[in-house]
Amino acid sequence: MIEDDVIGSLKSRLAALCAARQEVAAWNTAYEDAVAELNRSGFLQHAIKEGEPFPDFVLPSAEGKLVSLKSVLDRGPVVISFFRGEWCPFCQLMLAALAEALPQIEAAGASLLALTPETGGFPLLMKRDNNVRFEVLSDVDCGVGLAAGIIFRMPKLYRARLESVGINVPERHGNSAWFIPVPATFIVQQDGLIAWRFVDADFTHRAEPADIIKAVQGLTGQV
Amino acid sequence: MELAQVRYFITLCRVLNFTRAAEQCNVTQPAFTRSIQRLEEEFGGPLLFRERSLTQLTELGRAMRPHLEAMLDAADAAKALAQAKLTRTTASLKIGLGPGIGAADVAGAVREVTRMLPDVTIHFDESSPAALVEAMLTDMMDCVLLPDHCDLPERINRWPLYTDRAAVILPKNHKLMAKDVITGRDIMDETVLRGERCGDFVDRLLAITSYSLHLQRCHSSTSQILDLIGAGLGIALLSDRLPLASHLVKRPFHEPEITRRIFLTTVAGRPLNPAAASFVKLCRAQTFS
Repeated sequence: MIEDDVIGSLKSRLAALCAARQEVAAWNTAYEDAVAELNRSGFLQHAIKEGEPFPDFVLPSAEGKLVSLKSVLDRGPVVISFFRGEWCPFCQLMLAALAEALPQIEAAGASLLALTPETGGFPLLMKRDNNVRFEVLSDVDCGVGLAAGIIFRMPKLYRARLESVGINVPERHGNSAWFIPVPATFIVQQDGLIAWRFVDADFTHRAEPADIIKAVQGLTGQV
Repeated sequence: MELAQVRYFITLCRVLNFTRAAEQCNVTQPAFTRSIQRLEEEFGGPLLFRERSLTQLTELGRAMRPHLEAMLDAADAAKALAQAKLTRTTASLKIGLGPGIGAADVAGAVREVTRMLPDVTIHFDESSPAALVEAMLTDMMDCVLLPDHCDLPERINRWPLYTDRAAVILPKNHKLMAKDVITGRDIMDETVLRGERCGDFVDRLLAITSYSLHLQRCHSSTSQILDLIGAGLGIALLSDRLPLASHLVKRPFHEPEITRRIFLTTVAGRPLNPAAASFVKLCRAQTFS
């Protein structure tokens, strides 16, 4: 059974945070510009779709282990969720919601991997600060995100906004490219094909954990 | 942006000719050109000047090239390592260590690489920064750990890994062993071994103080200096991260505190084999306390 506090709760928490942020004019301008830019460029058409293979990978985990997608898929379907970074409050809400949903995802026979472009110990910080039990992997230089078609360059206004509040993205990424993923979520079935996905140009919109759980249960037949 | 678009752009950067680049990417020229145009739209400006017989990168194109190249390499490396794991590919991992930099901090990352690729051969080489950078540029070395204040060519990537602090290394039963912390003044009456290949903590100390030390110069590596300390020849200022044999002890060195930043370096734009690429990613992803 999917619990009500997981169903729909993330959406309302994200909306509340977004509304609070929108009261800060500088944030709102940068946010609207970033979303409009992604919609204008037709960015989302590049993202890999249901039925396509998810790019195979091996990436370092927050704890300094190498994690292979194939090895995780050997145990069952994998939920792969891309995060913008430890600094992003919307990502923190998503992480907390996924941490809450993890027992049900695991009960349905699936694993969960979080990917972030951050380096230098930030993946571990993100994991510890949000009390996360699943693997957080560092997608160093956004290679897997690129193969998944979900990487874009942060627009100028948004870059300036982050700099103005002291978020040093180049230091966190170990490069000054300002590339970042849209916070997409994919469910990859055991044959490596994508069974379900959530992709949105608006970074305040995230996959609902209840929808993820339902999709995983649909794949495995386990509750 | 898409993987194919980035691959097309990097190919075009290398050959600077739309027709040849499209051929190399095995795609029709109109499709190739449209793909580059869409990338330019995403970046908000032209990446290339298109003149009749001349294709050149714009300033934006030049600025974006290394980042797109690194991202493409990362995409290829993540996939290549997955493939190499399946096929038990043999590979080598060649790591350079600058003066006085031990392998202990990166040993965990090396272990992870060998867990993923059991047939990898590991090479460590200790030398001067200039020799190690030259080895990297001539493809004899995959990556090098170097201290700050090294002159590096522009085409070398560098990522800070950790801060190295000077510690005083003593033989057991040395009179300074009783102190919890040792200062510059405490070592003025001691013979201080200054190893040429052991880090430049002594030089850094002398550069910021007027202390007159009894120096014993040694053209030796860190392990030889440790042997000399054990034999009672003197004491040394070395990295506090060095693992020591049981007959030696280390004490923190303060007043002044001498530190240096240690960087991981690679050659920009040069793809690494799966073993080296995963080692670099492991080092970049984690924090070294």
